[in-house]
Amino acid sequence: MNNEAATPIAEIQDNYGVHPLSGAATKPARTLSAPLSAEINAALTASPEGEVAVRSLDLRIPLLEKNDILAERNRGYFLGRGLAALNLVSSPGAGKTTLLERTLDDFALHTKCAVLVGDLETDNDGNRLRRTHVPVAQITTGTVCHLDAGMIARAAQSIDLNGVKILFIENVGNLVCPASFDLGEQVRVVLLSTTEGEDKPLKYPPIFKSANLVLLTKVDVADALGFKRELAVHNIKRIAPQARIIELSARSGEGLEEWYSYLRTLAPLG
Amino acid sequence: MIMHELGIMESALGLVQRYAVEKHARHVERVVLRIGTLSGVDPESLRFAFDVVSRGTTAEGAQLEIETVPASVYCQSCKSEFAGTDRGFIFKCPDCGDLCGDLRRGREIELSHLEFS
Repeated sequence: MNNEAATPIAEIQDNYGVHPLSGAATKPARTLSAPLSAEINAALTASPEGEVAVRSLDLRIPLLEKNDILAERNRGYFLGRGLAALNLVSSPGAGKTTLLERTLDDFALHTKCAVLVGDLETDNDGNRLRRTHVPVAQITTGTVCHLDAGMIARAAQSIDLNGVKILFIENVGNLVCPASFDLGEQVRVVLLSTTEGEDKPLKYPPIFKSANLVLLTKVDVADALGFKRELAVHNIKRIAPQARIIELSARSGEGLEEWYSYLRTLAPLG
Repeated sequence: MIMHELGIMESALGLVQRYAVEKHARHVERVVLRIGTLSGVDPESLRFAFDVVSRGTTAEGAQLEIETVPASVYCQSCKSEFAGTDRGFIFKCPDCGDLCGDLRRGREIELSHLEFS
């Protein structure tokens, strides 16, 4: 057998050293790139108590914690005042403001209501909703794509909630982000209009999933648009079997009585 | 338009910094988040947000790991849980065929683990 041609697997360098007890390398066998070297040095540095330098912590902290705490506080505040808060969410233009205008002109004459309305800019919606018998606060969010519980807490302090039974919160027109932010509402209402596709619940499932009530709006123009109501209702039921569905039109008045009686169940003393 | 992932990452980083100060850490090495498949939070946007938010902090350059939590749904009729599909939000019980809305897991947005040096 000829061993002369055998090459060693690794060159052992002169400065290579091994700790006699732990077997850990005490000298680098080769020069490490600076960041890696720093990392390994940090890992090998043990504190006098023998604690390893890299420490780990197991946590299980919900990241929306702050919003959730504020939302629970809002919920308690609303409950204590005996009012039901509804968070209205939809894409821009689904008819939140129009439905609220109509609701304030009919329903709010007998049951005291208040409105908090969120938009990125302008107080146009706030002005549209202003009625002598309804306190309204406009929240402009700037660039933020949703309302959060803190904004609601501040806005709710700014209006007179005395005697108010129903507080409508008109969220920023957006079907994505508001799904993740609990405002402390009692009921989450998601609006789907017939000018959108019947498959919108399938395309934006999180928000529909979180709905207590889904309103199919603008049903008066459904036929003209070729919008298939049954298909839309079927899709909503697939995504949100827990939600109540009301089909209505703020313009023709169809379905409004059902919406009002739903509101009445939330404010039995109204 | 601000992504909501940015705000979520800001609160995550806020917590990480708090623990880092409390534990006298020099550097944050690893951050693990648990994100439910149905949380509405996009892991890629979270990674982007992490790079932006961690810049100049003790967590800059830390390894970000995102564990996904699969959806689990409770069936009222069968009194048992079944796995929600990855395909979306329609949950049909494999045993009785009922459509179910009681999502028990899959919505998590959590800071689950931290390592410092």
